[in-house]
Amino acid sequence: MSDKHSKDEHGHRPPAPMVDEVSDFEVLEMAVRELAIEKGLFSAEDHRRWTEYVHTLGPLPAARLVAKAWLDPEYKKLAVTDGVKASLDVGVDWINSPPTNFGTPSDYCNLRVLEDTPKVKHVVVCTLCSCYPRPILGQSPEWYRTPNYRRRLVRWPRQVLAEFGLQLPPDVDIRVADSNQKTRYIVLPVRPAGTEGWTEDQLAEIVTRDCLIGVAVPKPGVTANAKRPVHPAVHPVQHGH
Amino acid sequence: MTNPEKQDHGAGMIRQEPELSPISLLEAIRRHGRVWGDLAAQYGVTNPDPPWKVNLEATCDALSAEACALPLLERRAEEDELSASLYSDVPFPERQLLALAHSMIIRGLVDEEELGRRMKEIYRRLTSV
Repeated sequence: MSDKHSKDEHGHRPPAPMVDEVSDFEVLEMAVRELAIEKGLFSAEDHRRWTEYVHTLGPLPAARLVAKAWLDPEYKKLAVTDGVKASLDVGVDWINSPPTNFGTPSDYCNLRVLEDTPKVKHVVVCTLCSCYPRPILGQSPEWYRTPNYRRRLVRWPRQVLAEFGLQLPPDVDIRVADSNQKTRYIVLPVRPAGTEGWTEDQLAEIVTRDCLIGVAVPKPGVTANAKRPVHPAVHPVQHGH
Repeated sequence: MTNPEKQDHGAGMIRQEPELSPISLLEAIRRHGRVWGDLAAQYGVTNPDPPWKVNLEATCDALSAEACALPLLERRAEEDELSASLYSDVPFPERQLLALAHSMIIRGLVDEEELGRRMKEIYRRLTSV
C-alpha cells in the first residue's frame, strides 16, 4: 500500500480501532470510584498515585533479572540469596518505591528467587488469595487467581503442570512455593540449550511471565504466554471454614 | 447478615460472610452489560483488557491501603465466593468489578440507590456530546 493510501485526508495515519460505545461496566467502575472519593474512603490523589503505580507494573524486570543471572554467576548468587537487593539492578526497589515508600500491603518487601536445576522445578501459587510479586512481575493472570489452580496445584502439581503443557520426567522433583502477604516468589528457570552466545536482551525475551511463575520453561523462539483455559472449582468456596 | 461466631477477630475487626443475595442494580448489569471481550471483537480492538481495568485495580488497592475501608483479603475472599455463585457467568475482569461493588454495597460503603443514580449521571456525561 502506498503512503498516500495509508494516510487519511489530514495526512495522518488512520487511528487504531477503538470501542465507540459506553458500557455499563465502564460506567460502574467510574461510579464506584467517584463515590469512594466523595465518601473519603480514599482521595483523588491517592487514586492517581495507585493508578500510576499499576501502570508501571509488568513482567520485564523479572525477565531481566533472570537473564542477568544466567549471564553473571555472581549476580545469580545475589539473586538467590537476596532477591530484594538483586531487584535494584533491574529497577525495582521493594522497600522504598511509590506508592507507599515502604512496600504495599499486598506487595510487601520479601522477594525470594527460586533457582531451578535439571532435577528440581519450582512453581508458585497463593493458596489463600492471589498474592503475586507485582512490583517485579506485574498483574497476575486470571488463571492464577482462580480457586481451581490454587487448590489443585498444591495437591497434584505434576498433573497441573502437565495441563499447562509442561511434562516433567518422574525423576524431577517439583517444589510448590505458597506466597503470602510478606513473601513473594519468582522462579529462576534453567537456561535452555540453544541460547549460547545470546545477549541479555535476547535472553530476557524468552523469559515469559509463565516461566517466572513456573508453569512453563523458557524455549528459544517462544516469547509469549500460551492462552490458558480457566476452569471453575467444582466445590463451593468457603473461606473461614 | 453476619455470623456471630465470626465477628470477633480482635482489634474490633468484624468478619462478614458475603451476602449472596442478588443486588438488583448489579443483576441488571450482569444481565445486560456488554463485556470487554464482546466489545473488543465488535470494534476490532486487540487490547485484551478494558481500559478501565487499571482504574479498578487502583481502586481496590486504595480501598485496602488508605483508610482500610475494604481489606484486600476480605475483598478477595468475597470475590472468590461471588465469582463461584452470583457472577459465575461473567468473565474477568467484569466479575471482579461486580464483586467489588457487591462487597461495598453489603458493607454500606456505598448505597445501591446512590450508585444507580451516579451511574445515570455518568452515562449522561459520557454521552452528552
